[in-house]
Amino acid sequence: MNRTTATRHAAALALALGAALTLSTAPASAADDDKEKCYGVAMKGKNDCAAGPGTTCAGTAKMDYQGNAWKFVPKGTCEQMKSPASPTGQGQLMPFQEKKS
Amino acid sequence: MTTQTEFAAALLDAGLPCPPGLVAWNGSDPALRFAVYRNNVVVSLVDALADSFPVTRALVGDDFFGAMAQVYVTAAPPRSRLLAFYGEGFADFVAAFPPAAALPWLADVARLEMLRVRVCHAADAEPLPDAELAALLGDPGRLPLLRLVLHPALGVLRSPHAVVDLWAAHQVEEVDLSAVDPASAQAALVVRAGGEVYVVALPAAAAAFIERVQAGATLGDAFAVAEPGLDAADALATLLRWRAIVAIGEGGPEHEWQHE
Repeated sequence: MNRTTATRHAAALALALGAALTLSTAPASAADDDKEKCYGVAMKGKNDCAAGPGTTCAGTAKMDYQGNAWKFVPKGTCEQMKSPASPTGQGQLMPFQEKKS
Repeated sequence: MTTQTEFAAALLDAGLPCPPGLVAWNGSDPALRFAVYRNNVVVSLVDALADSFPVTRALVGDDFFGAMAQVYVTAAPPRSRLLAFYGEGFADFVAAFPPAAALPWLADVARLEMLRVRVCHAADAEPLPDAELAALLGDPGRLPLLRLVLHPALGVLRSPHAVVDLWAAHQVEEVDLSAVDPASAQAALVVRAGGEVYVVALPAAAAAFIERVQAGATLGDAFAVAEPGLDAADALATLLRWRAIVAIGEGGPEHEWQHE
């Protein structure tokens, strides 16, 4: 970086920082909140290896996929998307509507 | 193979027989009891992934997600006892999982969800008072040499897909994706404030700038290589608004900034 560029960057950064300090004086309502929360429990169920469905000793095999995921087709909320034709150009596994040309 | 490794291998591979030498306390068939245990190991890990990746799961449905997660669990069982961080490699796995190839944005949605987990559990830090930043304006010539130390509970994800919109659409009761174009590029800022993790859309240039600053680039370097269209004031204001600047360091690129 030569001296002129450095000076220009310094001036631009000073302007930006000055503006940023003005812009940010109104704190984000969320960030301003002093709520106390226990982070460790925010993701539920992670430590309860003995609780919850599927983890009891029910004696039945709830999961029986036989390692064969290939027959499964995504049937989630993607189906609601209107017209994104597959960008990969590969076969579409889900009922996408064709892009209208 | 020791008894223990044999036992562990059989737990994750249903094709292997029940390890020899097992005895059930009540005289029931050890193979049946072992099958229950094996099932519970896999199901609990699949459930853990389902908890960490709720939007990824919603996008493909429970059946597909369960099958995909099961393949991952048996291929990449946990290496750490911290179950919260299980799934660090899940997004890469999804990206390479052939049945999911028709949903090229799925892996980045998973990346975003893992980033939320990391941000959720990241260390706390006190933000730098605005006055200390304002004081820097007194000597603008120093600014390009400064490094900003960002809050540990902050992450940026840049994606060629609409990860923020896809994620946000699933945070309401009635999911409506009809207005989401997954093929449009988006960048996400993931931050924690008041104990909650937030996902906000960032302009691409701002995301790249913040990423470089976070990686330890000086302000001058991050600014010099900025993408055209960077609104540096807006990017810095975003950091200030989220109270994400925790310290200022100084020095050339060859010096690592030292924590006091």
